[in-house]
Amino acid sequence: MKDEIALTAYKCKKCGKLHYPFHDRCLECRGREFDKVKPQGNAKLLTYTAIFNLPWGFDQRFLILGVAEFQNQVKAMGQIKAESTDKLKVGMPVKPSWEPIRVQNGEDVYGLKFEPM
Amino acid sequence: MRDVAILGVGMLPFGRRDEDSLMDMLAYASLKALDDAGLGDDTVDAVYVANMGGGMLQHQASIASSLVDRLSLLPAAAETIENGPASGASAVKNGVLAIASGHYDTVLVAGGEKMREVTGWRATDFVATMTHPTAEYPYGITLPGMAGMFTRLYMEKHGVTREHLLAISLKNQEMGTRNPFAHVEMALDREGIFDSPHAVVNNPVSADPLHLYDLCPVSDGAAALVLCTVEAAKKRGKPYVVVAGFGQATDTHTLAERDDPTDLKAVSLAAQKAFAMAKLKPSDVHVAELHDAFTILEIAESEHVGFFKKGEGGKAAVAGKTRLGGQIPINLSGGLKARGHPVGATGVAQMVDIVWQLRHELPENRQVKNAQVGLTVNFGGFGNNVLCFILRRVEP
Repeated sequence: MKDEIALTAYKCKKCGKLHYPFHDRCLECRGREFDKVKPQGNAKLLTYTAIFNLPWGFDQRFLILGVAEFQNQVKAMGQIKAESTDKLKVGMPVKPSWEPIRVQNGEDVYGLKFEPM
Repeated sequence: MRDVAILGVGMLPFGRRDEDSLMDMLAYASLKALDDAGLGDDTVDAVYVANMGGGMLQHQASIASSLVDRLSLLPAAAETIENGPASGASAVKNGVLAIASGHYDTVLVAGGEKMREVTGWRATDFVATMTHPTAEYPYGITLPGMAGMFTRLYMEKHGVTREHLLAISLKNQEMGTRNPFAHVEMALDREGIFDSPHAVVNNPVSADPLHLYDLCPVSDGAAALVLCTVEAAKKRGKPYVVVAGFGQATDTHTLAERDDPTDLKAVSLAAQKAFAMAKLKPSDVHVAELHDAFTILEIAESEHVGFFKKGEGGKAAVAGKTRLGGQIPINLSGGLKARGHPVGATGVAQMVDIVWQLRHELPENRQVKNAQVGLTVNFGGFGNNVLCFILRRVEP
């Protein structure tokens, strides 16, 4: 696990719209200049699923994924640290971390994980 | 802009076609369409081929060039169109525009995909490559996974239930048993997949809250059609089908960036454009082929194109309003759910089925009586690139 959530969102300097992932032009006003924004605080789970037919590259029985919104409104997908969806609820708080999410070419790929709180 | 007609159509039965290569399937479907159009020994001005995975799955590029060579359609212009699962309708749109502009008079559009020669593991990954390359794909998300997250939201916001989803599975798989072109020709039993302890085994969770029978199969298949000017179609002296309207719209790549992820804006916009061009409204449509890669999508699309109000699509399916003989029959081919979903072929296949409906050529157990107007929705990505077509029957 890394100390920092290495994810960057982008706030349009012209209209203030927040973007993640990066867009070359603002979705709202087509501005081209952005301030970099780091996701802050814990997050709220917006939706989730458990998938049992995994894509190539994942050698495990199932994977639980969700989309969560950070306290500063950054929204992003991540893997959920849970054994099942039984105790998950839309709107519940989750604690984000930056951890290995898969292995590619023998190396860990880091990304967002959410732990139900 | 000139009006455009569909002169001929052809399709191969979808399923697992181990004996055929991708090029075999594209060629056979094309020959059927050329023969149906009465162009068996003639050439065309241009060929558009819809395919998503030839490069990744068959290690093959320039598929349209290969097809014109194989069919001896030289020196016809040829392009391959890749637009994910909406490649088929995209290719048709390019063909329609080419004729409407006056540049070409006759165009062949073929869509095909061969997905069963790789493992399910690889096929799932191949389809997932259309998700966002940094914000979604690395996490292991799949298209069923996207649909699962969408379903959970749609259930909460619009009151869709598993009972509603079940109505789509039962209807479309029943229609698949009546369609010789369908991949899945097996009717489902409500008790076996929903109402009994056996249902847990027979119909396990695949992408929570979606179950196995909420998902379309992975298929091989091809479909084709020949486009021409209305003047050329009139000369045949029999009823023909015209492209009355079409629309296309895009939305954000990631579901998370949409203000309301349950609002399929690209579906609504594509349909609004198609209806405006056709000067028709949803209640004018007699039969529709919607992109039910997942049962939830048939319900959501039926609402977003305007057949039903938001929150009413599931109830309408349960009430039988989308069955043959109902208010608006949907997916009488069995849809993607039963006909199958060879991704590049699907958008073309939907139109082939609607042409058969409008030419009144289907057997009684699939034919909408006196159908005059049909609609298709071909849904790319997870709703980030959508095309809607409206086809209309014209008497000579």
